[in-house]
Amino acid sequence: MVRLSRYFLVIIAIIAFSVVIPKFYWMAFEKPVRSPFVMYSCVENDFMIQKSTQDGLVRTDTRGNNYTREQYEEKLPLMYMRQLMISGTMPDTINGVFMDAREINDERSTFRLRTRDLFTPDPGLYPMFESQSGRANLEMPDDYFRITWRMEFVDANTNKILEEKSRMFSAVLYNRGFDFPAKSINGIPTTRKSIDEGYLVIDSEDQLFHVKMIKGKPFVEKVEIPEGLKFKHISCVDFRNKRYYAYLFSEENDLYILTQDDYVLKKLPVDGLIPEEQEIKIYADYFHYNIISDGEGYMRSQILDADFNPVDEYSETWPVKMERTEGKIYKFLFPGELSLSNSNSNYNAFFLNLNKSINWLVLSLILIVIQFFIIKRRNEKFKNQIVDFTAILFTGIFGFLAVNIFPNKFFK
Amino acid sequence: MWKSVIYKEWLKTRWFLIIYAAIGVLAVGRIFLKVQHDFTFNEATNFWYVILFQGYQYFGILKFLPALGGLIIAVSQFFPETVNKRIKLTFHLPIVENKVMIIMMLFGACCLLLTFGVVSLFFYGLSIIYFPHEIIHGALVTMTPWFLAGLAIYFLAALIILEPVWKFRFLYALVAVAFIPSVFFDDTITGGYSPANPVLFVLVIIMSTALLFSGYRFRKGEM
Repeated sequence: MVRLSRYFLVIIAIIAFSVVIPKFYWMAFEKPVRSPFVMYSCVENDFMIQKSTQDGLVRTDTRGNNYTREQYEEKLPLMYMRQLMISGTMPDTINGVFMDAREINDERSTFRLRTRDLFTPDPGLYPMFESQSGRANLEMPDDYFRITWRMEFVDANTNKILEEKSRMFSAVLYNRGFDFPAKSINGIPTTRKSIDEGYLVIDSEDQLFHVKMIKGKPFVEKVEIPEGLKFKHISCVDFRNKRYYAYLFSEENDLYILTQDDYVLKKLPVDGLIPEEQEIKIYADYFHYNIISDGEGYMRSQILDADFNPVDEYSETWPVKMERTEGKIYKFLFPGELSLSNSNSNYNAFFLNLNKSINWLVLSLILIVIQFFIIKRRNEKFKNQIVDFTAILFTGIFGFLAVNIFPNKFFK
Repeated sequence: MWKSVIYKEWLKTRWFLIIYAAIGVLAVGRIFLKVQHDFTFNEATNFWYVILFQGYQYFGILKFLPALGGLIIAVSQFFPETVNKRIKLTFHLPIVENKVMIIMMLFGACCLLLTFGVVSLFFYGLSIIYFPHEIIHGALVTMTPWFLAGLAIYFLAALIILEPVWKFRFLYALVAVAFIPSVFFDDTITGGYSPANPVLFVLVIIMSTALLFSGYRFRKGEM
């Protein structure tokens, strides 16, 4: 039992060191890797690439031309419209289209989906705003809803279920073919949006519903979706042009939009979007959609025109952390690392990141030799220390420190 | 005989335990005093909103309370044993040495669990007045590693206090300082620890045997 207690302590120490030591290592030696900022110029019909290098910010296009900040901004007039207006360099027409500031603004939108937005605890309760209150500003309701075996509204003041409202909404959902409970409830639960469009809800049979409240009454619309199509993530948007409700990511990693009012589900002609591994950014303007997928060590920009036809694409790679000097040294030092948090998730779990090379075994073998001398000095038999040697072999520096902090002296 | 051992542990820890439990209950009282104040001044719906969507933790003052409890109970229980190496007297009792250690450890752990249980129940009982189960569930998931940290600190502090050699005390403390903050108190959002909690639970169980190790070293007269 006592011997077992020692091994347990060794395990605890190995866990502690495999969390802390690599963390300190990266804190001391990691250098930032910034992905390039790639936009599409409607003037040049080419990509404008802004990178931070040792010489500062560099702005180029795909043909190797370098640009000053002012030139760069002139190539992206829809993005830097305000600046160009101040400088007096904003063109009156682009591609034969008269540039109306209001229209440019209405068509411009930015969207960003981080991987951690997919892996995050579900609040479970959402506020149902009044969509047509007749007031200029949205108001926070006094109740919140959940969709479990029915749709329930809970009053925050009393913490009691509002039976009548719950029955009314549940009945309408049921009559529209909703299969309780909800798999996911997606909306913009804030009063800081232009108007309220309620929620896009996926039921337990992967059907898609649009649910909102109009003058206190439920509004439920079932969205027709092709057979077998399942959505893993829905991001509702509140863009000025009101062309669509949301960006929807299917299980097959296809990207869809759901058009406003007529509920047409449109698949965008882009590929290779993996929200579990990449940050997805979508910049839209009067002429183009720029769909960027930022992964570890690579980025890809796919350009669509305003009618969602493919126009162009650009991709770039760069050395990841493990391919740089600090990563190469890391591979010789640690068999891996353990972390309770991960930049791609809002959950805390034991994230084990194993070293993909076997270089760390060199250090393990050196530490085994050192341990051999330590044991020899203590005049102990090697056969009693086999577990310790194994621990050092597989966990390297972490195991070496652990077995020496909790020394094995049971056989003296 | 084991009743006498438990009585001795009770004599050492009772005042610390009672005062600590009182602090715990007062802390929960303070939480809900503020909750009802904020309900009155900011409206309940806004209070729910900041909890659900802006990550506000209304139970935040409990964060280090279990850790404090673990430390207090471990010190009150094991520090007196190291004065003049009194624990050696315990080892001369007609009970198996490991059994004494396990009884001592179980006593401390049960006392802690009892106070944590009282504090949690009190917290839960008041929470269901003001909040729906989604909010309470998020709170309990977030608080679980804090309570487990209290037990982990108790086991590691007992290990460190009973360790006879100062050099090793320092090294064990190093392990504890590396382990506790990075494993139990990592950056998180409400409900974020749900996948980690079962593993933390197992780790705390295996740590419960830690005391046997330094007890053994004490018996063998490590210097």
